[in-house]
Amino acid sequence: MKKIININLFLSLVLLISGCEKKLELSNPQSIDASTALSTDDRVKKALIGNYAALGSSSLFGGDVLWMSELLGSDDELNWVGTFPDPRQIIGKTIFTNNVNVSSTWSEAYGVIFNSNNILGAIDVVKAADKNKVKGEALLQRALVYFELVKFFGEKPYVAGNPDQLKGVPLITATGPAAPQDVYYQLARASVAAIYTQVLADAVEAESLLPNTNGVYLNKAAASMLLARVYLQQANYTAARDAANRCITTATANSFGLMTNYEDAFNQSSNTKEDLFAMQVTTQAGSNSCFIFFSTATYGARDGDIEVTDKHYDKYTAGDVRKDLFFYEAGAYRVGKWRDNYKNVKVMRLAEAYLTRAECNARLSTNVGATVASDLNQTRSRAGLTLLAAPTLQNVLDERELELAFEGQGAWDAKRLKLSIDGKAYDDAKLTFPIPLREMNVNKNLVQNPGYVN
Amino acid sequence: MMKKLFLLSFIASFLMIGVAVAQNTTVTGKVTDESGAPLVGASVLVKGTKAGVTTDAQGNFSISVKANQVLEFVAVGYESRQASTNSKTFTIALKADIKALSEVVVVGYGTSIKKEITSSLVRIKGSEVQNTPVPSLDQAIQGKAAGVFVESQSGKVGEGIKVRIRGSGSVNSSNQPLYVVDGIPLASGAIGSSTADINFNDVESFEILKDAAASAIYGSRGANGVVLITTKRGKAGKTKFNLNVQQGTNAPTNKRGFMDAKEFVDYFLMAAANDAKYHYYRAGNYYGYNNVQEGIDEAQTWVKGRLNRYSGISSANTNGGGQDWKTGTFNTNWEDQAFQEAKVSQYELSAQGGNDKTKFYVAGNMNRQDGILVKNGFERMGARVNLDNQVNDWMKLGVNLSLTKIVRKNVPDDNAFETPMQIVALAPITPIRDGNGNLFGTPVTTYYNPLIETEEASNKITAFRNQGQIFADMKLAKGLTAHTELSLDMVTQNQEVWKGPRTLAGKGTAEQKGLATSYWYRNARWMTNNYLSYNKVFADKHKLDVVAGMSYENLEQTSTFVEGQDFPDIALKTLASVATYTNGDGRFDENNLISYFGRANYAYDGKYLVGLSARRDADSRFGTSFKNGNFGAVSLGWIATEEKFLQDISWLSFLKPKASYGTSGNNSGLGFYQARTQYGSATYGTSGGIAISNFGNDDLRWEKVTMLNIGVDFGLFNNRITGEFEWYDKVTSDMLLNVPVPSMSGTTSVYGNVGEMSNKGIELTLNTINISNKNWRWTTSFNAAKNKNKLLKLDGDQTEILPSSARYANALIVGQPIGVFYAPIFLGADPANGDPLFRKADGGTTNTYDEAGKFIVGNPNPEWIGGITNNVSYKGVELSFMFQGVFGNKVQNGAGGFMSASGEWFDNQTRDQLNSWKQPGDITMVPEARLAYNADWYFMGGTNISTRYMEDASYVRLKNVSLRYSVPQKVLTNLKISSAQIYLTGVNLATFTKYTGWDPEVNTDYRAGNVNQGSDFYAAPQIKSWVFGITIGF
Repeated sequence: MKKIININLFLSLVLLISGCEKKLELSNPQSIDASTALSTDDRVKKALIGNYAALGSSSLFGGDVLWMSELLGSDDELNWVGTFPDPRQIIGKTIFTNNVNVSSTWSEAYGVIFNSNNILGAIDVVKAADKNKVKGEALLQRALVYFELVKFFGEKPYVAGNPDQLKGVPLITATGPAAPQDVYYQLARASVAAIYTQVLADAVEAESLLPNTNGVYLNKAAASMLLARVYLQQANYTAARDAANRCITTATANSFGLMTNYEDAFNQSSNTKEDLFAMQVTTQAGSNSCFIFFSTATYGARDGDIEVTDKHYDKYTAGDVRKDLFFYEAGAYRVGKWRDNYKNVKVMRLAEAYLTRAECNARLSTNVGATVASDLNQTRSRAGLTLLAAPTLQNVLDERELELAFEGQGAWDAKRLKLSIDGKAYDDAKLTFPIPLREMNVNKNLVQNPGYVN
Repeated sequence: MMKKLFLLSFIASFLMIGVAVAQNTTVTGKVTDESGAPLVGASVLVKGTKAGVTTDAQGNFSISVKANQVLEFVAVGYESRQASTNSKTFTIALKADIKALSEVVVVGYGTSIKKEITSSLVRIKGSEVQNTPVPSLDQAIQGKAAGVFVESQSGKVGEGIKVRIRGSGSVNSSNQPLYVVDGIPLASGAIGSSTADINFNDVESFEILKDAAASAIYGSRGANGVVLITTKRGKAGKTKFNLNVQQGTNAPTNKRGFMDAKEFVDYFLMAAANDAKYHYYRAGNYYGYNNVQEGIDEAQTWVKGRLNRYSGISSANTNGGGQDWKTGTFNTNWEDQAFQEAKVSQYELSAQGGNDKTKFYVAGNMNRQDGILVKNGFERMGARVNLDNQVNDWMKLGVNLSLTKIVRKNVPDDNAFETPMQIVALAPITPIRDGNGNLFGTPVTTYYNPLIETEEASNKITAFRNQGQIFADMKLAKGLTAHTELSLDMVTQNQEVWKGPRTLAGKGTAEQKGLATSYWYRNARWMTNNYLSYNKVFADKHKLDVVAGMSYENLEQTSTFVEGQDFPDIALKTLASVATYTNGDGRFDENNLISYFGRANYAYDGKYLVGLSARRDADSRFGTSFKNGNFGAVSLGWIATEEKFLQDISWLSFLKPKASYGTSGNNSGLGFYQARTQYGSATYGTSGGIAISNFGNDDLRWEKVTMLNIGVDFGLFNNRITGEFEWYDKVTSDMLLNVPVPSMSGTTSVYGNVGEMSNKGIELTLNTINISNKNWRWTTSFNAAKNKNKLLKLDGDQTEILPSSARYANALIVGQPIGVFYAPIFLGADPANGDPLFRKADGGTTNTYDEAGKFIVGNPNPEWIGGITNNVSYKGVELSFMFQGVFGNKVQNGAGGFMSASGEWFDNQTRDQLNSWKQPGDITMVPEARLAYNADWYFMGGTNISTRYMEDASYVRLKNVSLRYSVPQKVLTNLKISSAQIYLTGVNLATFTKYTGWDPEVNTDYRAGNVNQGSDFYAAPQIKSWVFGITIGF
């Protein structure tokens, strides 16, 4: 009898547990299912914020695209003395196709583009009142990274020849198939011209959609500033001048302006009034790899991987406050702009707009917005230098070099101005990044840049 | 003092258990072999009950019996005998025989008789590895089982052990076997938990299940083989206490040696001059030196500045204590500083006993192993209770409970500047301490000085692993038993890290210094197994053994993490004192598994054997398209020596051909929610955002492994020689692959069940009794295995996933073994110019790395592995020694580009770099020493990955030597103890290899994986141990 009871007990236990098929459908409390992730107004806006996080990755505007431009453009004005071989390859202008920084930048950039494309694809669920803003931000995020991609990976600078014939990077502007392994993604490289066209189209549309102020997010003036940069790379000085002028007009009408003290424009946890756009860095989120490599252990960084040589340091005249911002430690001068930990990464400062307008006005002998002298003396006076009454184009270029030093424009200014770097011509094959080996390995349609073999 | 208290408390708890012994008579006697030599460890069983004892070192036993009960004497390698208990004392001699194979072995959800096994199974008795001074049981069984490859990643104590049973079957899933302790599968994916949680001195036996016939019943977790661990249980009879104490030391197996101060200084001055010459003559002199000497002077002046800095005599060091490098007298051997004096100790007390109704095994242990690396350590403290109670004639209840505390003093991964071994990069001209007695740090040291971690940091993991199980066995009818059990396996651990103001992680900002983190993690799993077993012999000839049942498992993982920075004072070290909380995390994950399983074994006439097994697993992690995995196997065997026509062949004692075929699975590569495309959080500034966090795939499922196993078990010359030979063909299909994809897709890789892999091999096991007489006994056991791994398919389109690292060459190439090295071939220094010389794809040579061809240049998987153990005993003295070997694999030194780099940068160099190219015509494997000062030569790629940093890592190791002395019975009687042994054991005593690194048994922890094998990167050498111990039974 007892045995029968036991058999029953045993069988009912088995049956009880067999009835638990629902146990196989568990939800992940850390995630949202993709099918509904971009289904509401709020979620699309949160995805937009998520794309700023991607934009601020250390491989992009979290620092790498800035210091990589500076190392690549360094004509013996910086030394890499750190142990990491990948940046050392970049400053030496002989980069291997397996360079970690190079391939991460490529991958992360397309991550931002992927996010932007998804947000733009879901734009119709955004409330009408916010649609322009969200769309403008997503477009400008995409434009920012395409511009970096074409500068780093494009076969040659835009000004080096027929940009229709030069290979740029793959162009993707819409949500593709859901499966990442789809052959659809084995995209060939679009031309340098095609990428520039896309960047301009996105930035122009963003400029028209974005609000004048937008907290720490992308705004109208930032769109104008990006346009100015793009036109400058194309040596389209009229358009660059006008974009810079629009940037200054919008910005100054909305409480933006130069900081009184040069020093205060840097090492800040919050945006200053001079920041058109800066990547936000807190102790908990965001990265600043410029700090990691330019600063020193005293401030929590590595051991001062990047040193400033006398060649650069001696370019400043005595009394220039920008010279005082360098700090001497561990046997060399260090870039003070990147001294402190957990500080925002400057992507666009208003000062650049003044210097761009001044340069273009000087080249075109115009006075759009302001005279060359007026624009130039904005930064000169702040730096404590004598004001120039009749500045030459070279005066403007010299000023630009010092004012914007080590903020990521190094290689791009050198290339558009066709300066030689470490004995290499501005369009030397070794001054362009290789297409990353990992991309070449998975995409038959990619063609490597000249000067590189896999 | 603590230790004494610990022992006392255990004795006290034993007493409380209070064993009541029934009124029985006691029979004593002695078991010997045919020559009269005592048989140690022979089982004396009361027939028809589970009561039994084992003989002591003199072959003596004492057992309590009831009237008319029959005793059965069983010893491995001997024919069993029975005897009535009419006489109270007697000596019984056992005949050596093949019937050793009647040994009972544990199989999935039951037991079987070794002789009738048709699958591939290795049994290792707990006594074979008892008291081996290693933390983890995997290390203890290394080299002992054919086809079981065990590799410790490095000499970090208690961490990172790779186990491969019959090769690697997967690229992206775990290739480690499933461990099952008394029916409870050890949770995979439990952070920080490992086989080191188990005190293997509590283990009665390990059964290693190698083929599908043995492992299919473990379904989606059985594909990598299964290690069944059975712990000791109580035995009826007088309670036997066993005390074991051991003490010893740990030391590194090897130190490799670096340049001394004078060599270092001369080398780098030479490297600077060479670099300047290169710039002037060959790189176009774009810095515009007026003549070569000017370039040399500038480079050397700069180097001298560096030497001043590294020796602490530059103005950067204001604390004094510098030593002038120019005198050539001061020298620091930094390699020595990575190691500490290390002790090993173990204390253990167990009691085993009971009566015919209730039996128990209780044990407590403390094991402490100092790591050889500074601040590395492992401690385990545990207690176990295994209890059985025969409630009535049809029901048995039992409890197994094990509580373990593990304390690990962690050292960082090999690629961290803080890890002790990276200290070898520091310059020998750098003194250890400054004028104030503080450790030198950067900028005086070339890199961060890892010794700062020893004074200003702590990193401790404390884990509690509790396994509890209650079970009932119910006889429902004759031959029919129901088994039901409920188990809980819990790992609760916390990792507390403190980093002081001078440490790399703690330097924070200019004002805010110091960092602490606290990480809490709980892995809780409960499960139930319920099954029916049916055993019956029909009509004398038909023997049937059937098991059918189900199981349910639920796993919950919960974790929290907090990080804070900025301590007001160095004495304050916990998160309570930080000024800012800088990071935090908290998460919850869950997994469920519902399974049905069955097994049937049939034997006809004791000769013809058939086995069937099956399992169906439904796992919450599978994609929606595949909810159930079905697995099954069939096996056949033929005990040929039972046939009349073979019984006349006197030298052939036993012969059993066998074959099996079946499938099992591997679910370990799938994250709990991997199959789903999901968005997770992405914070920007102080705003919460979302971003795609996983690219899913509805088709994601288990990997399927199909295995064919053909073998023969044999015994020769009255079983003086026994052995096993097996051949297997194992194919993984639906292999999970993280397929690299173009970044334009939004990700760089995506998982799919797309690949295929093959492992084919042979295994041979031989056990011989070389001498066995009254005083002498010498036995040998030998095993060898060859495995050939081959990747059959990636995603179908791709045929290779090539390495894109500058330091490592592991590739996936169809037709080649997993992780094969694919890299340029380095031909040494170009005799003409001292540049590195590489082979081009067309067969020519080049100095330019980019132009070098890439070739398949080596295999990180061993071709052959093997082990040989000899046991020699003379009276009470026993010597055993084991050699273990691994052959045919290569290791790449990922740190070669730093430490053996022709002085490219200021890392101290291995001494072989002294032999660099000096002048045209020199033939050497070391290119010209050139410092990357002008940064021209660096880019020749001499330090990029190539065969320059690959070496054959075959080795033979004297793995284990043990000398034991059993105190004679006469002495014992006077001391009133029943047995006493003293022993001296050594592990990893000598290594024979051509590998010039620290140790050929290596795979650096920070990148170790299925593909990423055979990599050295400042990995600590293995641990050489000596222990002295004493075991007392009373």
